[in-house]
Amino acid sequence: MLAKILAAGAMLAAAAFAPAMAEGGSLNDLQIAHIAYTAGLIDIGYADIALQKSKNADVRAFADTMERDHKAVNDAALALLAKLKVSPEDNPTSKTLNKQAADERAKLSALSGAAFDKAYADNELAYHQFVNKTLEETLIPETQNEELKDLLTSALATFREHQQHAAHLVAKLK
Amino acid sequence: MRRNLLLGALAGLAAGAPVLAAAETHVVEISNMQFVPAEIDVHVGDTITWVNKDVVVHTATAKDGAWDSGPMKHGAEWSLTVSKAGVIDYACTYHPVMKGAINAQ
Repeated sequence: MLAKILAAGAMLAAAAFAPAMAEGGSLNDLQIAHIAYTAGLIDIGYADIALQKSKNADVRAFADTMERDHKAVNDAALALLAKLKVSPEDNPTSKTLNKQAADERAKLSALSGAAFDKAYADNELAYHQFVNKTLEETLIPETQNEELKDLLTSALATFREHQQHAAHLVAKLK
Repeated sequence: MRRNLLLGALAGLAAGAPVLAAAETHVVEISNMQFVPAEIDVHVGDTITWVNKDVVVHTATAKDGAWDSGPMKHGAEWSLTVSKAGVIDYACTYHPVMKGAINAQ
């Protein structure tokens, strides 16, 4: 996934984000920001389904928090990018995440009642485990802009709490 | 009216009313999904001020329902004056993993 050269105007603005041109294709900051933003939007999408379908108070409270938190983190990310006059950059990882999420949404939409609640909670735990591992092992270490790195590190703390909360929810719904 | 109250207070002091220790304010930061410090020791009459440093919204809510900051956005502050002794457990309503305790004497 080599970073493409940005258009001239964008390149000046993106000077704060040195595009990674290393062999082996690591991600550049604009792609990292796009992936993190996409991951948040996906979880908001799952929460929307839960709030439409679930009658379980614990599931609804969890979904409320997912919507609220992922929106706050995404808004903060967009504000940082706007301040730096750059835009997130679509990339194959984001596309894969979106494709997988569409499949999961189709699966969840076909369920109802306790079966839905359990599938939603199970997915939230697995999804946060995956996103957190990706943030910790790949996205944060590869981020070059310090402000973006700080924002993602702080987001990871939030998503780790989500993961614990999801684990409790899974245990409760067994 | 204020002058009379002031004179009354001074008279009370002069009569040997006990002088209480000045009430303190303690700050608890809400940061990286934690109450910092998670456990604090205070005296009855002290004030605790929570400050939310996180991007996400939090609450400080007593386990027994006695008090609730309500939603606190990034940068928001909320204060509580501790009115009775004992251990008060509290948590964030949105993030049940986030817990704190106040030891009031």
